[in-house]
Amino acid sequence: MTTLVLVSHPQLADSTSQQFLKESLPSTGVKWEHIEGQQALDVDQEQAQLRQADRIIFQFPLYWYAAPAGLKTWEDTVLTRTFVYGDHRYPLAGKELGIVVTTGMPQQAFQRGGAEGLTLDAVLAPLAALAHRARMTWLPVFPIYQFGYLEEPEKLQLVIDYQRYLTQRQPDSLANRQDWFAQQLPGMVAHLPAEQQATGKLIASVFDQNREQLDQLTDTLAMIKEQEDD
Amino acid sequence: MTEQSEWLRQQIDQLAGQQEKFTERAFWLALKKVTAEQERRSDQLSGEVDGRTWRPDHW
Repeated sequence: MTTLVLVSHPQLADSTSQQFLKESLPSTGVKWEHIEGQQALDVDQEQAQLRQADRIIFQFPLYWYAAPAGLKTWEDTVLTRTFVYGDHRYPLAGKELGIVVTTGMPQQAFQRGGAEGLTLDAVLAPLAALAHRARMTWLPVFPIYQFGYLEEPEKLQLVIDYQRYLTQRQPDSLANRQDWFAQQLPGMVAHLPAEQQATGKLIASVFDQNREQLDQLTDTLAMIKEQEDD
Repeated sequence: MTEQSEWLRQQIDQLAGQQEKFTERAFWLALKKVTAEQERRSDQLSGEVDGRTWRPDHW
């Protein structure tokens, strides 16, 4: 699976959250582009990489209940009517659209009665409408609230949650989470220094056993339920 | 928590602690969380299997 991450930020180098996310990118399967970093938008090139991606991510800080102006310019320039739906070919159909959005306000602000008075889903409705128009699958939003206040354990968790949002199969079920970790494990174990390899392999084998046990239990339960239906 | 899961948690913590790279430490700690989730789900499913098998009305 190929994921295209389009980052919109007017001052990327000054953003600790965006730098953190860049450092957290998975090592394979992801193409990363900074929209405002382009000298001029090459429409053909931008459209070509959209066609190649299976999952497209818009990543930005929330400015006045919207993405930065750079993303809107990109949309208005690259997403021409003919490209998105005009010729009835829908080249983006079936692709997933995900949003990684950072906010300066805490999670509880984004609800009715909260400090902002509206949900992030409501804020991002125009992008969801775009996904709908292009016949794309809208992924649940990946919000990062008040990055500056995150403690180390939360940042550690964020690294992997972000990687999974970019590359893990959706929905984010336990089964799909297990599959993602199972895919990563051999590479992570191989990457360990020689003296840690044995522990890594042991951990991986217990993880696999747990996974098999869960599969068996799920099957058994399905069988019992089937008999109950009879 | 079973002895094995406690042991596993210790192994993962130890391995994570030895990783110099932040993203690699993050991976092992996130894996620990998923193994805890596996165990919880496994307990719940076993419980449900027991509950559904124990049906006196079907005796």
